[in-house]
Amino acid sequence: MGRLKACIQSLFSKKEEEVPANVEELRNAFRARYHHFKLLLSANNKALEIMQEMEAALTGTEPFGMTFVRSRVTMVAANVWQITQHLNELAPGKYEGLYERFKEIQQKINPFIRAGQEGPGGGALVIPLTAVNKEMADQVGSKMASLGELRNRLHVRVPDGFVVTADAYRRFIAHNELQAEIDRRIQATPVEHPQRLYHLSADLQQLIIRSHIPPDLESAVTWAYQDMKAAEGEDVKVAMRSSALGEDVAGTSFAGQYRSELNVSGENIFQAYKEIVASKYSLPAMTYRLNRGLRDEDVAMCVGCVKMVEAVSGGVAYSRNPVNIRDDAVYINSAWGLPKSVVDGTVSPDLFVISREGPRRMIKTEIPIKTHKLISFPKEGVRRLPLKGDERTAPSLQDPQAMELAEMAVRLEAYYGLPQDIEWAIDKTGAMVLLQCRPLRQKEPPHSSKSPPVGGLPSDAVVYQGGFSVSPGVAAGKVFMVKKDMDALKFPQGAILVAEQALPRWATTLNRAAAVIVEQGSMAGHLANVAREFDVPALFGVEGATHRLEADQLITVDADANTIYRGRVEALTAAREPPKPLMRESPVYEALSRVARYITPLHLLDPDAVGFRPENCKTFHDITRYCHEKAVQEMFQFGKAHKFPERSSKQLFCDVPMQWLVLNLDDGFKEEVRGKYVTLENIVSIPMLALWEGIVATPWEGPPPVDGKGFLSVMFEATTNRALNTGVRTPYANRNYFMISKHYVSLNSRFGFHFSTVEAMVSERAAENYINLQFKGGAADFDRRLKRVYFISAILGRYGFRVDIRSDTLIARLENREQDFMEARLRLLGYLIIHTRQLDMVMANDARVDYYRQKVIKDIEGVFNVAPSSGTSTQEAKTSYPSQPVGSISDKGASLRGC
Amino acid sequence: MSLNALRVLLVDDEADFLETLEKRLKKRNVGVSCAASGQEALAQLEKGPVDVVVLDVKMPGMDGLQALREIKRRYPLIEVIMLSGHANVEVAIEGMELGAFDYLMKPMDIDQLLYKLQDAHKKKTIHEEKIKNMAG
Repeated sequence: MGRLKACIQSLFSKKEEEVPANVEELRNAFRARYHHFKLLLSANNKALEIMQEMEAALTGTEPFGMTFVRSRVTMVAANVWQITQHLNELAPGKYEGLYERFKEIQQKINPFIRAGQEGPGGGALVIPLTAVNKEMADQVGSKMASLGELRNRLHVRVPDGFVVTADAYRRFIAHNELQAEIDRRIQATPVEHPQRLYHLSADLQQLIIRSHIPPDLESAVTWAYQDMKAAEGEDVKVAMRSSALGEDVAGTSFAGQYRSELNVSGENIFQAYKEIVASKYSLPAMTYRLNRGLRDEDVAMCVGCVKMVEAVSGGVAYSRNPVNIRDDAVYINSAWGLPKSVVDGTVSPDLFVISREGPRRMIKTEIPIKTHKLISFPKEGVRRLPLKGDERTAPSLQDPQAMELAEMAVRLEAYYGLPQDIEWAIDKTGAMVLLQCRPLRQKEPPHSSKSPPVGGLPSDAVVYQGGFSVSPGVAAGKVFMVKKDMDALKFPQGAILVAEQALPRWATTLNRAAAVIVEQGSMAGHLANVAREFDVPALFGVEGATHRLEADQLITVDADANTIYRGRVEALTAAREPPKPLMRESPVYEALSRVARYITPLHLLDPDAVGFRPENCKTFHDITRYCHEKAVQEMFQFGKAHKFPERSSKQLFCDVPMQWLVLNLDDGFKEEVRGKYVTLENIVSIPMLALWEGIVATPWEGPPPVDGKGFLSVMFEATTNRALNTGVRTPYANRNYFMISKHYVSLNSRFGFHFSTVEAMVSERAAENYINLQFKGGAADFDRRLKRVYFISAILGRYGFRVDIRSDTLIARLENREQDFMEARLRLLGYLIIHTRQLDMVMANDARVDYYRQKVIKDIEGVFNVAPSSGTSTQEAKTSYPSQPVGSISDKGASLRGC
Repeated sequence: MSLNALRVLLVDDEADFLETLEKRLKKRNVGVSCAASGQEALAQLEKGPVDVVVLDVKMPGMDGLQALREIKRRYPLIEVIMLSGHANVEVAIEGMELGAFDYLMKPMDIDQLLYKLQDAHKKKTIHEEKIKNMAG
């Protein structure tokens, strides 16, 4: 052994090398280059990671906001810029053209992410309701625009007053320099944590409430209020209602997420105004915008300020059935006192159903016992009053009044051409006043199979039958009781919300809830509206639900048949379609998908193609890919070009000289090597050693026995595929070579007919660790090659890699894991590179495929002691957006590709 | 290159942020000084040597880009990392054209920031050695 060593050493030192005089300078130059290369790799990795995150977000199943879009685009741009810069440092003057390409792409991206699309500004701060109509929605918000339309064009009775406009809102925000501060705080908060979001919401609202009303706005509002006093009397009280811009995008029904203040006295108008503006950042509103992909900057908060109506009774009328598009009857909910109690779900109101066809007639009335009503205090504010005597049982609306209301609903629907949702009140004189009117969305009718599944369920499977459906569908899940705000924050994914009242604030859970069960509330309430919008089945009026059901109990809610079952009733839940991706078609989604067109697609696929040039870089991904390829080449060339022996490639010597070349980029060797060979003992590159262990761990069985067809297919491909015949496609195509440093490896290998590239960075900086694998080619026909790629993909998926397959090229990525995890995965890759060499030959034979699968898994888990990764890469990646499921195939023409 | 050698100047008008970051970096053996504005940062740089400046982009008075321009003019070897509460591609690219080492966004993972500081410091060291070689 000692003799062999001595022999090798003499072999190494015997070799004479030309040593340039300025070696110290070269060494320094190389260190600088290597540092640029390392920074380029790190930026490259970061850029790819963010692109992947953007693509995952574009599946549209998880919510994200403009903050996400802006920050990801900025991060990608910053990293791609750095990549370009570092490449130009590696080869000064050679790649200057890339900057121009970068700027061109940036110019295309800019318009979609520019912040704060301000309105025209300079318009009126206050507009009297007498001057408002529906064309003014961009100044007064759609809610007040429609109230003005009712008053001035339809001559319907509505309370008089004025609107504090969108320009007033902008004036208020600008006067206090709030927008930048708000944006900053939002960016600093991870939105996927409900608790953090809760604090953010509270902070932002405080910030707004503490701000000052600009003097011009103050005097405009004061004058308008003086006019009201002149018309209505000295102590006129007002109702202040939010009327936000941007509520009516793509079928969204903002459904009163914002605040309204009832019975406000003159001295508190400004306080109430600020509170309503602040409610733009209430938790339900922020969650809602996030889940529906609405942009914060599109929401300018207008505030309607109208005379307070002292309602004897009030409620909501629907010109059609919201839960069944085939039902054209008019539905009216009514309660004693102010209509707010119907909307916020705190009472179980009376129900009147009136036919539309022919002469109107009452189809159905339900008059439950009413326990409370909401009334105004004489000086200010409202209170809940317990009901006594007749009021508990008497209908809160007389039949003729109900008929009049139905008539009105039909008329308004005809006028607007859409089903309407109308808030109404009966005042002390018995007159009907409309407070709000907006389009109503209807749901598909329940599925035809209303009855329990064929064969029936044991009768004790039914927990409850009754109540009424306010949002159709069936879902199973565990019961989660919500009593206070903290419960809603802790609400788990896929649970069933069970609560006493249908409070609007429970709407924050609807992106996570499988179904909703409440004891009180109405189909006209806010919670019901949002449940319909989010396709969450909801059963209301379930008596004693909070006692009948237990926390964590598994149940199935059939909101089509008004039944709750014990356990999961597969027969009912199985046929349900998955919920639609709500983000799709939203403004935020649109913004991301538009910028992504200039970021994620990859056009430069083949580095050997003529078109692999800077001028063909159409996206940031193209630039990234181009720079990476060129940087690797520049690094490889350096040692050669400068006759710098210690930085030119060495042949690996492992008992005998081997067909593996090693180029030391920096600190990959224990000591400097002057001669032609480097021994394995002299290599200290962590990722290379791990790969190597995998390569040599178990002897290769040799090419698998080929079935007749497989061999013919190889012969055929070899004569037709030019790429297989050309021996040298790039200067280093036909050999296996490593480029290494202590923490870096890049291995290009070519065995016969297939090529693979592994690149890895492994150190104690887990956040910078990554492995990229690219695997392609093979000699068999396309079908067999594809099967092999899938075979490898399934194995890689099993151990936590994210795999993307395009054509017969497989790209796998793994990142951000601890050093030992990364090393284990590299051993596995080394093994796979060697042992799957000619598997494409046997891919037509399922039994053989299965034999090899078993063998590979046995080797990996036995020899390397690697356990399969639990779950998908989603849990492993640090990012909060789910990546593609493991082993999934991207169907996009050019999606992500590891470099 | 030991961590002790790294000297960082943090510039941010947000006192809470500055204080927290200073504490956390000091625990990781980084030499830290602080400034609440661009002007203050320039004054600090007069007093003692610094390797890397972490610079908030949006500050009252002299804003981040102005401060960056001034730092790079007076001390071309000092590396500057921009740290911003506002995602803005144009500012990011302008900053890097002016010679910023990187543009990061709040909230920033402390370890990742530390890696960036180390990388920037290494760049500066290599740069300095190169100049030394050329000189002598």
